Amino acid sequence: MGHTVLVCDDAIFMRTMIADILAAAGYEVIGEAETGAQAVQKYRELKPDLVTMDIVMPDMGGIDAVREICKDDPDAKVLMCSAMGQQALVVEAIQAGAKDFVVKPFQPSRVLEAVQRVLG
Amino acid sequence: MDLAKYAALFISESREHLQSCNQLLLAWERDPEATAPVDGLFRAVHSLKGMAATMGFTPLAELAHRAENLLDAIRGGKLAVKPEHFELLFRSVDELEDGVARATTGKGLRPEAASLVKALDAAVKAGEKPTEPVKTGRAGKAGKASESGPKAEKTEKAEKVEMPAAKDERPSLDVKITVRSDALLRGARALLALRKAEALGVVSRVTPQASELEREDFDGRLAFRVKTAAAPSEVDAVIRSAGDIAGVAIDLASDEQAVDATALRQIRIDLARLDALMKLAGELVVARNRLVELARESSDPELGQVGERISRLVGAVQSEVLEARLTPVREVFDRFPRVVRDLARDLGRQVRLEVEGGDIELDRAVLDEVADPLVHLVRNAIDHGIEPPRDRVKAGKPAEGRLRLSASRERNSVAIRVADDGRGIDRAKILAKAKADGLVDAGAESLADDQLLRILSRSGFSTAAVISGVSGRGVGVDVVMTRIRQLGGAVELVSEAGQGTAFVLRVPLTLAIVRSLLVQVGMERYVVPLNYVSETIEFSATPVTALGDREALVIREQPVPTVHLHRLLGIDGAATTGRRPVLVVQVGERRSALVVDALLGQQEIVVEPFDAPRGMPGWFSGATILADGTPALILDAAALV
Repeated sequence: MGHTVLVCDDAIFMRTMIADILAAAGYEVIGEAETGAQAVQKYRELKPDLVTMDIVMPDMGGIDAVREICKDDPDAKVLMCSAMGQQALVVEAIQAGAKDFVVKPFQPSRVLEAVQRVLG
Repeated sequence: MDLAKYAALFISESREHLQSCNQLLLAWERDPEATAPVDGLFRAVHSLKGMAATMGFTPLAELAHRAENLLDAIRGGKLAVKPEHFELLFRSVDELEDGVARATTGKGLRPEAASLVKALDAAVKAGEKPTEPVKTGRAGKAGKASESGPKAEKTEKAEKVEMPAAKDERPSLDVKITVRSDALLRGARALLALRKAEALGVVSRVTPQASELEREDFDGRLAFRVKTAAAPSEVDAVIRSAGDIAGVAIDLASDEQAVDATALRQIRIDLARLDALMKLAGELVVARNRLVELARESSDPELGQVGERISRLVGAVQSEVLEARLTPVREVFDRFPRVVRDLARDLGRQVRLEVEGGDIELDRAVLDEVADPLVHLVRNAIDHGIEPPRDRVKAGKPAEGRLRLSASRERNSVAIRVADDGRGIDRAKILAKAKADGLVDAGAESLADDQLLRILSRSGFSTAAVISGVSGRGVGVDVVMTRIRQLGGAVELVSEAGQGTAFVLRVPLTLAIVRSLLVQVGMERYVVPLNYVSETIEFSATPVTALGDREALVIREQPVPTVHLHRLLGIDGAATTGRRPVLVVQVGERRSALVVDALLGQQEIVVEPFDAPRGMPGWFSGATILADGTPALILDAAALV
């Protein structure tokens, strides 16, 4: 059985794309969230092995969501999904507890490398 | 030799020594068998003695000498350490601190110091009596056990405070890493590598500073030192696991001489110099803003170019000065182990202090302003929050209360949190009192956290009698609130009955220069600090709803209460219909939507001290001079949400 993943992004397009990349590599996407608040709630419910987290989302952004998730579970494995030019935000996310990041536009190989690093 | 010019150096260095004395004493008291703290104490007191004697401060040198004698007797095994020795030594440190300040104004020690000197001498003499059992410093525990009175017991428990180990024997490794040049967001990648290293041991001397990593032009090179038990090969592997790492070079840190060599490249600067520099940089920013505006109005392209160049240079000067003023919050946090110990002992509490985020940096001036409010909050937490051990046990909690002091960096601000696991604020009593004072509606049934904070922070609200009968002092939340808001910061409160209370102070990284948004309402212009603006939207394009009895805008499915600034501030001639811009300001979790007439653009402003006339509503946190030379008021985001 592959590792379980929660995918968080406010765009269905991005969620679908990440889910496809991960599913093709044998990971099991067990949930999706489109706001930061949902991400926190679903993390508590589903206890996934990995979370992919968009930075800019309505109703609690990704950085606050990471902070919340890591407050409950300091070992939470959160992978940030960032756009170019969001370096300061990614730095903040890492300080909040994110374990790694990938930069849009996604290359499947890069995403999978990062996932493997995070899952160690 | 003119000694006067060394006075400032003497004071600052003495204070450093005495600060470390406090820490060493605390560590030693917790583990009386340890020898490292005694050695450290002896060295610090000895250095102080030498400096004081050189400066001609004889009484001070004399006191240091007596304290040194006691330390020497214990260190040499002539004397077994006892609880009263710690008391004597703590008192000595206090007296020395006081003496340093007095000496430079030409005064001797306080009269009380004489009895301390006698007590120190007596303690040393006791060690010389042949009847006294001779024990070594290491055998301190036996000495302690021999007087297993209730006092010794209490001392040990009451003062458990979190302290760094006195000495770390792990080797230091100097690490240099390079992030692959084709990697994306190299700064963030470098930070990940740093994080990995932090999991291995204690990381220090990080260059460039963390804030540099946020820059898009970061060159991918990061160096730091890590004190770790891990082998270099292991360190290498762990760092590479951050991904996209092109190279890792690890060297065993060269010896202490190398340390000295780098130390030589630093100089001490009088804080007043930095303040003056900061003020000049601030004025330069205002002049620059004016120049850029004039250049825009004129059609001379050369003037435009010069304006732009000066603009960039001023920006660089400003950030260099800011950088030089950044001070780790540890400088303030380090006082608290001692404060907590003394207070816990005085009030009969058992408190474990946990400190986190001491490396977070703040402008020196902000840090200085935050220190007092923090002391207030820490005192409150121990006095009113954490219950006496017996009550805690009765409530099913560990006898030892927990006090957590932490700092964390948020975008342009730093959040400092003081949290206890005590009884929480008694809302019912506060509510009753607030009703009696007419502060809340007589029909109100409960108080939300922000209401609670608002009531507590009314000056003159007599809380001491309400929260506990212990203290005659007011709680001083009003003082905390006023100070933090003057800084352009915000205070947040979370309190839960039986679970504890947490205060969060959010303060800007720096005081002087603030990136702001300039808005127009009627004929007036106001300034809103950008770090509280989460977004701007348009009024008519957004559905209006009601939140309780207030108008609210629906922003991404969430209702956000509106504030029509022209109504709030009583301004005539403002637009009241049609499309108008809206600023969403956010402080902590609270938001509000400010409706204005126009957004005039961003500006870096220099905050000027501001004395609000009596009776002026508290919507403003300061004033500034705009680029065109006219003054404007700064809106206090925290008061508007």
